[in-house]
Amino acid sequence: MTTTTDTERSTATSAAAPTGTAAGSSIPVEPDAGTRKLSTAKAIQEAIAQQMRADDSVFLMGEDIGPYGGIFSSTTGLIDEFGAERVMDTPISETAFIGAGIGAAVEGMRPIVELMFVDFMGVCLDQMYNHMAKIHFESGGNVQVPMVLMTATGGGYSDGAQHSQSLWGTFAHLPGMKVVVPSNPYDAKGLMTAAIRSNDPVVFMFHKGVMGLGWMKKNRRSIGPVPEEAYEVPIGKAKVVREGTDVSIVTLSLSVHHALDVAEKVEQDGISVEVLDLRSLVPLDRDAIMASVSKTRRLIVVDEDYQSFGVSGEVIATVAERKPGLLDYASRVCVPDVPIPYASGLEHTVLPGPARIEAAVREAVREGNAS
Amino acid sequence: MTLYPELTDDIRRELLSMMVLIRTYEEAILREYHADKKPGFDIGAGLIPGEMHLAAGQEPVAAGLGAHLTADDALTATHRPHHLAIAKGVRLPEMTAEIFGRESGLGRGRGGHMHLFDPQTHFSCSGIVAEGLPPALGQALAFQRRGSDAVAVAVLGEGAANAGPFHESLNLAALWKLPVVFVVEDNDWGISVPRAKSTAILSNADRGVAYGIPGVRVEENSVEGVYEATGEAIARARAGEGPSLVEVHTLRLWGHFEGDAQGYREDLEGVPGRDPLPTYKNALESRGALTEADYTGMEAAAAEQVEDAIAFAKGSPIPDPSDALNYVFAEGARA
Amino acid sequence: MSDVTFPTMSDDDDATGVIVTWFVESGDAVTPKTLIAEIAVDKVDAEVYPETAGTITILAEEEAEVAQGSVIATVT
Repeated sequence: MTTTTDTERSTATSAAAPTGTAAGSSIPVEPDAGTRKLSTAKAIQEAIAQQMRADDSVFLMGEDIGPYGGIFSSTTGLIDEFGAERVMDTPISETAFIGAGIGAAVEGMRPIVELMFVDFMGVCLDQMYNHMAKIHFESGGNVQVPMVLMTATGGGYSDGAQHSQSLWGTFAHLPGMKVVVPSNPYDAKGLMTAAIRSNDPVVFMFHKGVMGLGWMKKNRRSIGPVPEEAYEVPIGKAKVVREGTDVSIVTLSLSVHHALDVAEKVEQDGISVEVLDLRSLVPLDRDAIMASVSKTRRLIVVDEDYQSFGVSGEVIATVAERKPGLLDYASRVCVPDVPIPYASGLEHTVLPGPARIEAAVREAVREGNAS
Repeated sequence: MTLYPELTDDIRRELLSMMVLIRTYEEAILREYHADKKPGFDIGAGLIPGEMHLAAGQEPVAAGLGAHLTADDALTATHRPHHLAIAKGVRLPEMTAEIFGRESGLGRGRGGHMHLFDPQTHFSCSGIVAEGLPPALGQALAFQRRGSDAVAVAVLGEGAANAGPFHESLNLAALWKLPVVFVVEDNDWGISVPRAKSTAILSNADRGVAYGIPGVRVEENSVEGVYEATGEAIARARAGEGPSLVEVHTLRLWGHFEGDAQGYREDLEGVPGRDPLPTYKNALESRGALTEADYTGMEAAAAEQVEDAIAFAKGSPIPDPSDALNYVFAEGARA
Repeated sequence: MSDVTFPTMSDDDDATGVIVTWFVESGDAVTPKTLIAEIAVDKVDAEVYPETAGTITILAEEEAEVAQGSVIATVT
């Protein structure tokens, strides 16, 4: 039985193509990383700055993105180069300024709009899922919305239930938005560049823990080599960030760091873990998931979003629909359908941290062998 | 200083002519909508399925406002959009084909009557109350940035003035001095709830004060009042002086949507007597600006245009079910 | 050659900060355009660039507490 939902379709024509010059001109795709190192935050800043230089229809809107530079340093320094006209601090009116981004995009500009925390989606969701995501469809492809919605996700630093969520599964569930979730500086720059140049609305979701911030516990993988030139990482393409043969961890964002840490640790016990960084949720690289599970036959999905009705179920369903006999073992390490607690010990109990991932890997190998 | 062409009898006849065209259109849609839903009322059946919000009685808003707009200006409308689309210059055949769910419609049958998008005239709508305002801000911002003198008009109902996006949008438009005009169609009713039970103040135009922008209320569904109030507001926006708020006390001649028996409506008996079309026709005749021949000419021209559009829609292809997954994205696919 | 000092971020002479990130390693070639480090005093951070080109030798560890003005690397 093979029931894929893939639809290799695209629109043939567009009466209202954006006038921006970004899309169309050719830039490298996933070039060699080189040796120059940046944090993820700086890689994002660099991607935005380069596209703002290349295309004057690109501009930024959001709360505290000007002189402050973004609460999580996504826009540091940009106002110094581009001025307040193109780096616009907004009132705390998410519906108004996200909607304004949509209207500007409809008229051919390429706004990057920051929603400070993804947790705030509740106050402005209508603009995102009923407008940003649907106008192209409702117009039969005649109106494009080339907009980037950038937002901070994730927990791990005791910010409580309203400032620690991931919620990418919610965006990926609602049709009409591309969703990217970089885990490292290289992918962050390439995906942001691709997002700005895309003619579709792209939700760019960065986990605060991958930004390499000095005031938040950081994984060494938040710093890494980044080419100085502009380049794209294709939206919709996952990446095997560690090859292995015993068990596949399919994951995204900060959980990639934890998965790699665990993979290094269990290697000493002779367990070979493959780690697949999804990088994008929409489109989802289902072929890459199948390729990895075909090798290992054991699947663990690690996702910092809520467990039920989300990304983890979608990944497992992909294998179940395409080749159910392939799986000797499947499990998931997610947030177990509970709001994120404040107290640090409680929070780290529900987050999919290294200890839970390691336990899952060891069980996968044990159970998978037994079957 | 005259900010817009002063009213002349020629302009008055154009306003009336636009009102006639809109009414003719809405009556034709009414006819087609109900034609094949009998004997019972099945909302999903017929050549025009789904909800249908018609704007009979609200023609003065569209005619008076539309007279000042060019194709380069933007207009965001509501769930009740036909009159505004017509006055904005949206092509009737493609709009009608969309309402009939046809491939040659504005949205290739994907949008429907509450979701009309026409990039050529910068016309769009939102089916969600008050949520059409924020995108209009962005259109205005784009115009401002490009040095164009185009304006964006956001139309809303009086019920929307109690929703958050209205207030966020007025503040942001005023703060950034955007070339936006907010036009409130106060038809007294939010579906079945009268404005007295929804709104704490008598005139939403007064809410402009809270954001430091002009607010004007036009009484008695007066098309000439709309022409003057929106003319001034649009001229102000074009001159770079920022947003304005105009509220028009208009009339919902029919139900909220088709199939609405309006049992809740205490003012129902008096409604026909407040119809703005005969009122304005009589006014023009009284001042000697309109002959019976003028009027029958308007009606005939409107009927021809509308029936041509209906015929175009009926003759247009139905979208191929194999294309049902198209147009989610401009580039690539959802996997 | 030149010394790389921890920038003065605070009026308090006794203020200390941390080296958030070294973007280079000892032995790497650097120029005045090379971002070599990010440092922070409380929640305020700053980028550090060398004054001259050459080969860098790192003298202070990442996440170590450092006094303002102290030498954290040399370029030879």
